[in-house]
Amino acid sequence: MKNRLKIERAILDLTQEELAKKIGVSRQTINSIEKSKYIPSTSLALKLSKVFNKPVNDFFELDEEK
Amino acid sequence: MKNTILNKLANHQIPNSFKKIGGIIFFSSFILLVGNQLFFEKLNLSIIAKYGLLIGMFLWSISKEKIEDELILKLRMQSYTFAFLIVVIFTLLHPLMNFLVDFIIDDNKSNISDYGDFEILWLLLGSQLWFFEIQKRLHK
Repeated sequence: MKNRLKIERAILDLTQEELAKKIGVSRQTINSIEKSKYIPSTSLALKLSKVFNKPVNDFFELDEEK
Repeated sequence: MKNTILNKLANHQIPNSFKKIGGIIFFSSFILLVGNQLFFEKLNLSIIAKYGLLIGMFLWSISKEKIEDELILKLRMQSYTFAFLIVVIFTLLHPLMNFLVDFIIDDNKSNISDYGDFEILWLLLGSQLWFFEIQKRLHK
């Protein structure tokens, strides 16, 4: 799973800590998602979608191989 | 999402402040255990110290993190699975290892020793805590 979380976060000028607070998770969780170490649940993805004001598909993408 | 099994399990955890209490109980029991071996052998406090170690680790294990989110929940579940597998594998292999060690070192003593609840619980909680802390550091 590839993601554009870091870019979307930069567009909104948010730090990892600020984004984490907005969606009620830890900074480590945001960092892990950005580094593709962790795939978030649907509810977390939807919370991110609400913050970025974009559909989930715009910042999460399945790897072509998979 | 409030009704998932994982959330129900998470709700049965105790507050984060118990982690410190667990740590204090663990380390004071460890000091007591070492002290008992070195200085107070007559008082035989080792049972109290051993159970103190277990209680400390248990409190540490079931206390929440400062922010208990879905990543932490996943890591916690993985650590419990890891600990379960370690204990099962160790329990299955322990008699064989004992037998082999006895066979190599002294073949007259084919004594396959057993171990009790303390050792099993210590291994279970110890491996769970170890794996959980390692995983948390890897996700920092």
